[in-house]
Amino acid sequence: MTTLKTLTVAAAALFTTIGAGRAEQLIVNSYGGPYEAIIMERIIKPFEDRTGITVVYDPVGSASQDYAKIKATKGRPGFDVAVMTASQSLDGCRDGLLEKFTTDTVPNLAKLNPAVSRMAGECGAVHEVQYLSLLWRTDKLKAAPTSWNALFEQELKGKIILPTFQNIMAANLMQVLSVKNGGDLLENVDPGFKAMAVLAKQTIGFEQSSAVMETYVKGGQVWAMPYWNGRAQLLMDSGVPVDFVKPTEGTIPLIATLNVPVGAENKAAAMKFVDFFLEKASQEAWVTGYKVGSARSDIEVPEAVRSRQITTEGDLEKLLLPDLSITAAKLPEWGDRWEREVVSAAN
Amino acid sequence: MTIAETGSAATRLRRRFALRGYIPLVPPITFLMIFFAVPIGMMIGISFQDSKTLAFSLGSYERVFTDDLILAGIFRTMLMSGLVAICVTVMAYPVAYFLARSTSRWRTVVFALAIAPELAGVVLRTYGWLIILEDRGFINDALIWLGVISSPLPLAKNLFGVVVGLTHVVLPFGILALLTSIQGIDPNIEKAAQILGASRASVIRHILLPLSIPGIVSSLLISFTMAASAYATPALLGGARFKVLATMIYEQIMFYINWPLAAVMAIVMLVMMLAISFAGARIETRLHKKLNV
Repeated sequence: MTTLKTLTVAAAALFTTIGAGRAEQLIVNSYGGPYEAIIMERIIKPFEDRTGITVVYDPVGSASQDYAKIKATKGRPGFDVAVMTASQSLDGCRDGLLEKFTTDTVPNLAKLNPAVSRMAGECGAVHEVQYLSLLWRTDKLKAAPTSWNALFEQELKGKIILPTFQNIMAANLMQVLSVKNGGDLLENVDPGFKAMAVLAKQTIGFEQSSAVMETYVKGGQVWAMPYWNGRAQLLMDSGVPVDFVKPTEGTIPLIATLNVPVGAENKAAAMKFVDFFLEKASQEAWVTGYKVGSARSDIEVPEAVRSRQITTEGDLEKLLLPDLSITAAKLPEWGDRWEREVVSAAN
Repeated sequence: MTIAETGSAATRLRRRFALRGYIPLVPPITFLMIFFAVPIGMMIGISFQDSKTLAFSLGSYERVFTDDLILAGIFRTMLMSGLVAICVTVMAYPVAYFLARSTSRWRTVVFALAIAPELAGVVLRTYGWLIILEDRGFINDALIWLGVISSPLPLAKNLFGVVVGLTHVVLPFGILALLTSIQGIDPNIEKAAQILGASRASVIRHILLPLSIPGIVSSLLISFTMAASAYATPALLGGARFKVLATMIYEQIMFYINWPLAAVMAIVMLVMMLAISFAGARIETRLHKKLNV
């Protein structure tokens, strides 16, 4: 009996030791490439240093693929935090697949711009704001473009590329052109589709992947295209002779969000990570590292960065902000129109 | 023990042995049930749901058979798969014949070359074709440099590009299907016909082709089904302007999150393949009867 008691106590002690020795872990699903290197350096490493939580980084899948995985697994995709966009945040909240954030669980939510935060809904913590910019080759175009009109110029005939409709840039560009031509962002988008049909005649083709679109610019076949400003800045920094502008008619933001699936195994650590990412210092590190904007207007970044990003209340107010729930609901109908009116109009 | 009892015991023993014969089938049947039959059943169930409310609905079926964009996708899939099946079989036949009959030391090299494409992944091979076929690709650049053409030929992002890419992907399977069939034909029959005065063309037409019908049909069916279900090659070489069922299904699942519509399209693809397989088997039987082989 004494032997049995000793063995039981020893086993309990061993399990306790193992349990205590095992570090807390967090699985973050995001993107690969330059994004991975920057997020590791600017966010994940400081988070690990401060909290002692080990982050396992999963760079597989785009935002829509990640959401499809969350949906297919009913909120148990095998990762604790997903980097997606406001559209997936709204879908996930509606489907009950993503955790709702409050200022109790994520105190830094209170510091975000309310209008931008509202766009992502209760399940999305906005950690980054990009905008649809006009990217152009500085060695090919005679003058720097300032308006979306530049894409329609004869000089760019056969020198632009467009995203396929499965890249949200396509819908956003159509919406911007709709507003520019007298329509609106959601209900009267006929002017947008008409403009896109004209633009389709200028294009050398359509590509779904932003990375593939970039190769055409690098190769010199494409001289201008719509592109998210964060990626445009990275391309510029890599030495390719390009520049980008926020066209005068306005633009639509890409609101990137942090999300926690309802079935996340390490929910407490996930909430800590989300809050850490939204801290002032983290946002400053992210804005200067990945060259994007922030939904926090109290961050302090160098003027060279600030002038090209969305960082102030004034910048945020100038954005065209469509209701993303309605946009998402309209995508199937617009996708149909895109195939019939835009793709078929291409050369 | 009576004779009747002995007979009954023997019957039981036979049954036991017969049942034991089925034991090896248990693992594959279990595997297929779990990973094929159950998912197919779930897919059929999803196809009858409304994409938003998840209530029972025939809306997705109605849409598939009335939406001209989807019907065009189905037509493109059939056209593409049919062309790939024909190209693969025509190109695979001489290679398979050489491999079956040759005693040359080059036979091993040819066999390795025929199978070599399978060593590289489909995506890698498809990107290779993209580099060759695109507007600024190797072929167009060479033709422009030689002065043969002044502007690039449309070799990629269309039916042509997809058929070329898929033919390359599927060719090894066509060769293997035909090789097995041709190896089963006694070479003495060909020799006998030639000794009796038949020309080479006549031997091919009247002996080789009829006897290798099972291989030809297998090659056509394998190529058709592989091409119809291929995703990566049509997605990369077809682009936005050449959408087929596989790429359309992916869009509905990943982008529009409309699983019921994707499920119906997948069912259409499945039925199309089953119909083609059934038709292939019928044609093979009829040809056998007609040609008396």
